[in-house]
Amino acid sequence: MRYSRASLPFFSLLILVFTPLPSARASATSIPHGTVDLIAESQWIAPGNQTYIGLNFQLEKGWHIYWVNPGDSGQPPRVEWHIPAGLSAGELEWPAPRRLGTSTIVDFGYDNAVMLLVALRASSTFPANQAAQIGAELKVLVCREICIPGKAKVSLTLPIKSMPPEPDVRTSELFTAARESLPRHVPATWEFHVSSSKDSFLLTAKSGQRVTQATFFPLEESQVENSAPQKIVPMATGFQLTLRKSDQLLKPIKRLKGVLELAGNQTYLIDVVVGDTQVAK
Amino acid sequence: MKRLITFSALFVLAGLAAPRLILAAKVGQPALDFTGTGSNNQTYHLSDFHGKFVVLEWHNNGCPYTQKHYTSGNMQKLQKQWTAQGVVWFTIISSAPGKQGYIDANGENSYMAKMGAAPTAALLDPTGAIGHLYDAKTTPQMIIINPQGIIIYDGAIDNRPTDDVRDIAGATNYVNLALGQALAGKPVETAATRPYGCSVKYKGSWF
Repeated sequence: MRYSRASLPFFSLLILVFTPLPSARASATSIPHGTVDLIAESQWIAPGNQTYIGLNFQLEKGWHIYWVNPGDSGQPPRVEWHIPAGLSAGELEWPAPRRLGTSTIVDFGYDNAVMLLVALRASSTFPANQAAQIGAELKVLVCREICIPGKAKVSLTLPIKSMPPEPDVRTSELFTAARESLPRHVPATWEFHVSSSKDSFLLTAKSGQRVTQATFFPLEESQVENSAPQKIVPMATGFQLTLRKSDQLLKPIKRLKGVLELAGNQTYLIDVVVGDTQVAK
Repeated sequence: MKRLITFSALFVLAGLAAPRLILAAKVGQPALDFTGTGSNNQTYHLSDFHGKFVVLEWHNNGCPYTQKHYTSGNMQKLQKQWTAQGVVWFTIISSAPGKQGYIDANGENSYMAKMGAAPTAALLDPTGAIGHLYDAKTTPQMIIINPQGIIIYDGAIDNRPTDDVRDIAGATNYVNLALGQALAGKPVETAATRPYGCSVKYKGSWF
């Protein structure tokens, strides 16, 4: 032990003074092999307005959690909100996932770090000049070779003021990054078509240029065989992608929804009627 | 860029494995024969059970989803209920040595005694041969074969894909549903579902 006892309080003080301690991030709670905290994009929320909050997961190297469609195994995080009447939390907004797993068992999820965004709305009659306690009870499955179920309670205190919310500079980078990781809407000029044959779906995309790399992540379970290779045929104005049907798919489906990943980590949310040509929404 | 490289690597691996996937068993198709060694040291051939309903249950005693159905007694209850009606029930352990759920014959016998498990036999499949033959992906995963040797159900044990014991009450148990319908001579309504749980810890798997 090289530090004298007297120096320890000194170091503690240094940490206090020089480490920015954003109050919004002070509530990081342990989950198996990681932490989660609940953070807000704005310094306060205004009646009749909305702001974003985020479940910010940090995972130890090698561990992962799951996308809304976990793939062949696993389970997505589940949240139960505890918020005052007059506030409402929207659906979780899921960043584009990564393909995880082995050759025969393929999962969809996130490693290292991920933030799930949630819109928080305040009714116009919500009384201002107070603070709202936003709580979330989480169940999360954290996996590497093995899976460990975890539970966590996180919370955040958000002032209510009757003026437009100001961004919280302490969290703005995280929110910017989280938004960039969300799949985007497809440009209005792109067209998609899905046809169905006995064993596969053929996704045809017209994006105006040749595409040589594409991966589809199905939003719904049991439609596409997760571990099957997705064969791409580049075309002058787009591409065709063959998606093997899941063995669990015994009835025809009306729509194919999911995330399409193109080169350079560009991700898009697509929702295409099966058997019809249409302009993407 | 790192992400792209990792992703491409996975894609290549997935491509290499494709031929095996096509051979794997499917609902509506004949169940492929296998030979398995039970923890009771007996050898079992699936083909010896032609004329009977056979349940295959993929198992890993370290998996929280398997534990859900064993600590609650749910799986043991199903085993007793259906074997009493002449159904053959194989618990299959495809975990490779060193992986979660791997167990030797003595270990499995004491586990079954402790838990009150009552399958026809627990088959030790450390090479993953039976697991790959049936493309088993999770523990638990349930497959049902009819007396004609056709797969009539493949998927989850029930419709609540969680590790929470409290979700068992009120869940639709697909095994009960399928066996109930099949034993009554009716078609199985829900013949394929997404199995849920932990990935099967095969040899060579790195997650």
